[in-house]
Amino acid sequence: MPTISMTVNGKSVSAEVEARTLLVQYLRESLGLTGTHVGCDTSQCGACVVHVNGESLKSCTMLAAQAEGADVTTIEGLANGDELHPMQEAFRENHGLQCGFCTPGMVMSALDLVQKNADPSEREVREWLEGNLCRCTGYHNIVKSILAGAKALRG
Amino acid sequence: MSETGIGVAIKRVEDLRFLTGNGHYTDDINQPDQSHAWILRSPHAHAKLNAVDTTKAESAPGVIAIFTGVDMAADGVGGLPCGWQIHNKDGSPMAEPGHPPLAVDKVRHVGDQIAIVIAETRDQARDAAELISVDYGILDAAINMDAALAGTTLVHDDVPNNRCFDWEIGDKDATDAAFGNADHVVSIDLANNRLIPNAMEPRAAISEFDRTTGRYTLYTTTQNPHVIRLLMGAFVLNIPEHKLRIVAPDVGGGFGSKIFHYAEEAILTWAAAKVHRPIKWTAERSESFVTDAHGRDHETHAELALDKDGKFLGLRRRDQGQCGALTSQPSARASRPISTRHFWRVCTRHRRFMPKCRPYSPTLSRWDAYRGAGRPECTYLLERLVSKAARDLGFDPVELRQKEHDSGRPVPLSDTGRAPVRLWGFPGDIRKRPKGIRL
Ligand code: FES
Ligand code: FES
Repeated sequence: MPTISMTVNGKSVSAEVEARTLLVQYLRESLGLTGTHVGCDTSQCGACVVHVNGESLKSCTMLAAQAEGADVTTIEGLANGDELHPMQEAFRENHGLQCGFCTPGMVMSALDLVQKNADPSEREVREWLEGNLCRCTGYHNIVKSILAGAKALRG
Repeated sequence: MSETGIGVAIKRVEDLRFLTGNGHYTDDINQPDQSHAWILRSPHAHAKLNAVDTTKAESAPGVIAIFTGVDMAADGVGGLPCGWQIHNKDGSPMAEPGHPPLAVDKVRHVGDQIAIVIAETRDQARDAAELISVDYGILDAAINMDAALAGTTLVHDDVPNNRCFDWEIGDKDATDAAFGNADHVVSIDLANNRLIPNAMEPRAAISEFDRTTGRYTLYTTTQNPHVIRLLMGAFVLNIPEHKLRIVAPDVGGGFGSKIFHYAEEAILTWAAAKVHRPIKWTAERSESFVTDAHGRDHETHAELALDKDGKFLGLRRRDQGQCGALTSQPSARASRPISTRHFWRVCTRHRRFMPKCRPYSPTLSRWDAYRGAGRPECTYLLERLVSKAARDLGFDPVELRQKEHDSGRPVPLSDTGRAPVRLWGFPGDIRKRPKGIRL
């Protein structure tokens, strides 16, 4: 079994895993970071989105071994103690979630969007969310949340 | 205005944990010494199980135990019940064929459960399931209404013509008389397609058995823990309620599909007492597609009788649906006609008659209430029918509804069984509807 090492939410971690272990399995099952979810087996839902070296990626579609040496951020790595990240706060303020299952993926995806495009239009937000599915909200408040979060981050 | 009262936006208490990745969904839970299950499912819509050979799989790495429907039947495990039956129009009870949690003699839809493999890891359980050899005697499938209706393929040998029930409601003579006096009769045929609810969180469960107390605990993705305790305990596994605890953690969407008691819950709970270890199971999305209770899936013919001024005189409706191969519960077969009936009464005070509501059992996944449980279908039917009447007869669609509304008394309480409701689309709202919504 290969040994893998990476940084997750600022902490160095290392483990022996079966070669077929997916990054999401490693995060959820070995590290207990269950904020990253699995909603499908076809890379479609985006509930599993995390950042790998600063880019949003579907952690169900990547082997843990492929993240060797990488810097990984999950939803658990965003808030500063009790203080929510502005994007998390925007979701909370704008009712951007209901059951919350898609939410970690939505937030992680949104953050990659705003680091590439600080002032996205509503259309750009909707297009960016192509790879993230939500069955509860109808997306409208998610889009509102992301626009508000982007605004807050621009300061 | 107070800071927390009416009119003030209230922050949801659960958002903090959901937004920080600290939600507590079933698959997030792990128990000490937990084992993992994979369910072997049928790739065929309809097939005899001539033989299920688990020998090779039993010696695969990590495997703790494998059970089939024969094992559960030998243990006296019952079938999953329909908790809300309905009678045929002749007074006889609806057909309620057996629904074994693991199939015994044959499989009746793609995804039907054949065996549970319990192993140290989920991957090991899944690998071992691939080693189970099943000798299928493939039978003809009945995958749509016509095929099910024809009855040439019987999904259950003891259910003639695959008919679950044939139900009617209303006042036939008065309705026929209203239609006889009508100046206009407008009719419509509608199909509501079958759909898969697809909550973002796939179904999952963890079962535990404490042999020192004889107590069972089941964590499950459910909207309805109390009913599962009742149905699973009393009807399927014969466990007294005080020995059975059902825990519903955070649920990642359900839309009705997580109301019902599912076979996997019974299989896992039963098996936990066999292996004396907690057992965890989480569905893949592909399994959700074929095993979560589907919604809608019915065909309707409806007629509206009007006088020359556009006054409504009567309504007739005939409905046929596909209820899937195996009974769902608690409300599978009954919920839709009953909810629909309720809503139909609320929305019309005219002579109405529903001569047929007949679900059939094709070789499809189970079917049950979904988002509104009959009410959206009823609204859709009534609004489409009235719009068609307006179009065909040259009335303005808003005025036709307005006239109906203005002429009316509120539906009497006794007629709806619930609060009085004003009729017909709340005309003020109709007028205020966003541009682009055509009636
Ligand atoms: S779990 Fe659905 S895209 Fe990764
Ligand atoms: S909030 Fe439930 S799936 Fe998005």
